[in-house]
Amino acid sequence: MIPVLETDRLILRAPKAEDFDRFAAFFGSDRARYVGGPITREQAWRALAAELGHWHLRGYGRWALEEKETGAFCGIIGLWYPEGWPEPEIGWELMDGFEGRGFATEAAIAARTYAYDVVKLPTLISLILHENIGSARLAERLGATLEGEFTHQRLGLMQVWRHLGPEAVQ
Amino acid sequence: MTTTIHIPTLETERLILRGPQASDLDALAAFLASDRAGFVGGPLGEAESWRTLMRIGGQWVLRGYGMWIIEHRETAQPAGWAGILHYHEWPEPELAYSLFGGFEGQGIAYEAVAAARDGAARLFGITRPISMILPDNTRSIRLAQRLGAVLEGPGQVMDLKVDMWRHQAPEASA
Repeated sequence: MIPVLETDRLILRAPKAEDFDRFAAFFGSDRARYVGGPITREQAWRALAAELGHWHLRGYGRWALEEKETGAFCGIIGLWYPEGWPEPEIGWELMDGFEGRGFATEAAIAARTYAYDVVKLPTLISLILHENIGSARLAERLGATLEGEFTHQRLGLMQVWRHLGPEAVQ
Repeated sequence: MTTTIHIPTLETERLILRGPQASDLDALAAFLASDRAGFVGGPLGEAESWRTLMRIGGQWVLRGYGMWIIEHRETAQPAGWAGILHYHEWPEPELAYSLFGGFEGQGIAYEAVAAARDGAARLFGITRPISMILPDNTRSIRLAQRLGAVLEGPGQVMDLKVDMWRHQAPEASA
């Protein structure tokens, strides 16, 4: 089951087929170079399916962000722990045109709260490629601290950011 | 509104066809790491096998139909997969199937794929799916023939030249 969360400006809901065009446009673009892209539309479709399959296999996963005001699908954010990951992370991607408005921060806080309160995860990381300065800044804004490095088989060397724990965000 | 990922279950004499589970990873990874997986895009590592499991689960939400994991009742082990595969570039819904190592020669594939074909017709209205099979995959071709599928002609998927086999509606082949 994929729950719906709500923040001031966003709805966090299950990804759906209607999100595909914008999802594929982002993952096909140069902006996706820090998150395993750019990839073809065919690969993007599998990736969207994988977002949903993660929920099925783990019982938690990443939500599609919908801007309340317009109903627009504007990002993918949430909990990600596939095989090959060292531990569960908060991962985020904003679709083209939705950067710079604090949406990722707003949604990441909601996802973090859900991870601690509902999934009962004891701790969370974010894996961030060194060149992905914007993402590292977001981790900092969330109170995360740079802890070390991890080499992923496919994605290569990444920074490990440790998020504030359950007690710290009460 | 919350979204529920609902994957129906099919049962046959010796098998249960069900949604993928995290506990299927070892069996799937062993299969995808083996030479047997050469016909389905392998061999693949553990992380890639997990991605395959995620895609199988997620396609059910995006399409409303998908592939089942075949569970062998007697041993409670995953024995393969069968069901409707329909990735983005697929020309149409495909009845796809693979049997993991150690389960060959017992008619398990036939039992599973016949159930999946009938289930796809009954539950999703997919009555005459194709199967895309590499021309040298003789085991798979033999199974398609036993199921009553008919060779329709050459096709292509993911840069692979395949043969398109057309299954018949369950009543017609019974």
